Amino acid sequence: MFKDLDPILHSQLRLAVMSLLISVKEAEFTFLKEKTKATAGNLSVQIQKLKEAGYIDVTKQFKDNYPQTICKITNTGINAFEKYVENLKSYLG
Amino acid sequence: MSNENQFNEKESLALIAQMINKAKESCHHTGVSTIMWGIVITVCSLVRFAEIHFNYWLPFDIYYTTFIAVIPQIYFSIKEKRERKVKTWEDSFIDYTWLGFGISIFLLILITNIMGHSLQPVIEKYETLTASASPFRFYEYVAPLFLMLYGLPTFITGAGTKFRPMVIGGIFCWLASVITIYTPGKIDLLVTALAAILAWLIPGIILERDYRIAKKKLEEENV
Repeated sequence: MFKDLDPILHSQLRLAVMSLLISVKEAEFTFLKEKTKATAGNLSVQIQKLKEAGYIDVTKQFKDNYPQTICKITNTGINAFEKYVENLKSYLG
Repeated sequence: MSNENQFNEKESLALIAQMINKAKESCHHTGVSTIMWGIVITVCSLVRFAEIHFNYWLPFDIYYTTFIAVIPQIYFSIKEKRERKVKTWEDSFIDYTWLGFGISIFLLILITNIMGHSLQPVIEKYETLTASASPFRFYEYVAPLFLMLYGLPTFITGAGTKFRPMVIGGIFCWLASVITIYTPGKIDLLVTALAAILAWLIPGIILERDYRIAKKKLEEENV
């Protein structure tokens, strides 16, 4: 039986961000930008959507007088990601 | 990359795999600290060996350089932490392992020094009474304890990060620990130097080389 894919995760950039964050403890915004090759504006919007869904935590701080944004996946995010992968398998199985 | 959601399930899985691999590839660490400690312990052991062999003693204890080396270690740790854009679960685990190792080494130095000083009058009394050298020399048994401890974080780091040179180095430290139970103190120093080369110096050089290659690759990708 085919299951609906989470619309929050079924988007290239948001899925890329979640896949990067699931592999690490935390990552800087610049790291996510570097790896996804997305524009800063687009990435900010998608990160905000993931944050609103409760999938990631975003911490803003200063490092050497420059603003620094740190993203970290939450338990809700991990569960949603795992469920998304399980559902994908049902399509491909 | 766009936020387009018109992509199929296969592309979706491929993207997940690609990003997970990218994240893994980014987790290279510099080998500077490892190289530094490899050099410090090797030099200390060889200098002490030379002091005993040539019966020429430096005006200071060469092992004090290990305390001085803590200063650049703190600098390297802060610098690496600042430059790190991503932190993995392994990073925290390994950082705490080496911090625990540092505390344990400090305690071992303290314990062996106190024990050594406490036993010295007994040994001296024995030598006065029997007019012969004491068969028990406490400092002959110090190297095996240190080598046993050197092996632990080295092995954990190597196994945890799937870095074979450190696994081999850690196992060699344990093997050296057993060997030095039976070898005289002078030889213990040579074995300790070899252990430091295998456990830290060589793995550190490999780590640093890999880090530089990964950094160069990343810079090329982002041009």
